[in-house]
Amino acid sequence: MVMRNRAAWLPWALPAIVLVMVFFVAPFLLNVRFAFSSWTSFRAEITWNGLENVRTLIDQDLLANAVTVTVLYAILCMAIQNTVSLSLALALQRTSGINTVFRSAFFLPTLISPLAAGYIWRGLLAPEGAVNSFLGIEWAWLGEPSTALVVVAFIDAWKWSGLITLVYIAGLNSIPKSLLESATVDGAGPWTRFRRVVFPLLAPALTFNVAVTLVGALSAYDVIAATTGGGPGDHTRALNVVMRQQWGQGFFGSASALGFTVTLLVIATAVPLVWWLRRREVTG
Amino acid sequence: MRAVLKYTALTLFAIPWVLVPIWLVVVNSFKPAGEAAELGLGLPRTWAIAENYGIVLDRGGYLTGLVNSLKVTVPIVVAVVFLGAAAAWAFGRSRSRWLQAAYFVMGLSILLPPSIIPTVYLLRALSLDGGSLGYVLTMTGCRLGVVIFLATGFVRAFPRDLEDAAAIDGASRAQVFVRILLPLLRPVLFVGGVILIINVWNDFFFALFLLQGSANATLPLSLFQFASGTLQSLNWNLVFAHVLLTTLPLVAVYVVAQKRVLAGLTEGALKG
Repeated sequence: MVMRNRAAWLPWALPAIVLVMVFFVAPFLLNVRFAFSSWTSFRAEITWNGLENVRTLIDQDLLANAVTVTVLYAILCMAIQNTVSLSLALALQRTSGINTVFRSAFFLPTLISPLAAGYIWRGLLAPEGAVNSFLGIEWAWLGEPSTALVVVAFIDAWKWSGLITLVYIAGLNSIPKSLLESATVDGAGPWTRFRRVVFPLLAPALTFNVAVTLVGALSAYDVIAATTGGGPGDHTRALNVVMRQQWGQGFFGSASALGFTVTLLVIATAVPLVWWLRRREVTG
Repeated sequence: MRAVLKYTALTLFAIPWVLVPIWLVVVNSFKPAGEAAELGLGLPRTWAIAENYGIVLDRGGYLTGLVNSLKVTVPIVVAVVFLGAAAAWAFGRSRSRWLQAAYFVMGLSILLPPSIIPTVYLLRALSLDGGSLGYVLTMTGCRLGVVIFLATGFVRAFPRDLEDAAAIDGASRAQVFVRILLPLLRPVLFVGGVILIINVWNDFFFALFLLQGSANATLPLSLFQFASGTLQSLNWNLVFAHVLLTTLPLVAVYVVAQKRVLAGLTEGALKG
């Protein structure tokens, strides 16, 4: 039969495979080489130089700070986003007219670009802005080292929370009602039901959301570009921000090394996390 | 009583979370520069709608940005959705080891961050740097993975009897794809497509590296250039007018598609 002919499947997958290979996999492999190569706008020739780029970045006190900022940013972003989204999902789980209106409203920030979100909150959180006049204080949220990183991570979380809420609602709705009912019959209160039934069964959605938000936030750039540009000092200078600066100054090899660092962080975060959460899914 | 309490709490949360940010943008885009600099939430004392939006359209590069954004978003979304669906069919049905290996690579491309610097190098080597085509190809290559992954799960969950029956009746593969596969995958392709539109329309990072010159600038790039023109003190009225105009096309898409997006996402179209 035609449909069972093996070779005949290749043409259907080939365009996609070629595009991913050329425009994702090839740059990925090239990056491994460029990260350890001398390549600048002053000398276009690309030659292997081992750990020279990394050493230069460390000597300039750029690398350790960027890694710390990026990791903190990702954790803050993940924590804020998942707390808000899971709470909203629990409140809006049932599909009804009024809940649909709220779901729709909370989805709106997702439509706004991270760049625009940065400008909007920069306006709201300015010393003379609405947040301060409501609180009756004058605080430079984005200008003070103690709050800048939290605020920038908050803006990123704000932008994506609507979408993550919907994924949690899908997860909540996939929990069999009979389980919750029998837990209630057995005398479990709302908190026990959540902790013993809902939370363990929510594992697939939780896995997905925690991994997606962490991995996404490790590549942070847009919100920072619109708000602090890396400041105050270097308190929000994440890896991608330094990468763009190195690129702009013509240090292409160093920029590649910074991009490669993001990749390593993603691998280091995602692999154990997915593995651990999946195991808990089965046994939990 | 508990319901009243819940919805009061939700409303109180929605005001600063959704309403105030949107109101700030709208109302300040109507004010003259001096008044907008106060960043207040009150109505304008002097209205400057025509002036502000006139400047954004004229000097802010909005119209060029709009055309450029459409010019890249449409081909990327069409290519990802259709090439992704075709590939998902093959990955879902074929038992070839090579294709299964390729499918694994597609999965990796979702997780790992794209390498932007070597991409610039590669596009330069292919004489595709700076322009829309290189950007479209790169974004397509980097976004295909998600759609393929989601759609392949869908294909595998469906028995192949329907496709076999159509083949026995003499339908060609292309006919089976258009008549059976695409309708089958519609929910997942629809939700994936809308999220893709949001991502591509709002993309700033790739555009910053891959699109050169204001002639190619998409809307996020033109917003950034416009805002960075006066880095020390933003002209809030103009920045907000630009933000509003940049977001409106997506809001329009969302209003049309909202019911199906919300239903698709909450009923787990992404779970496959």
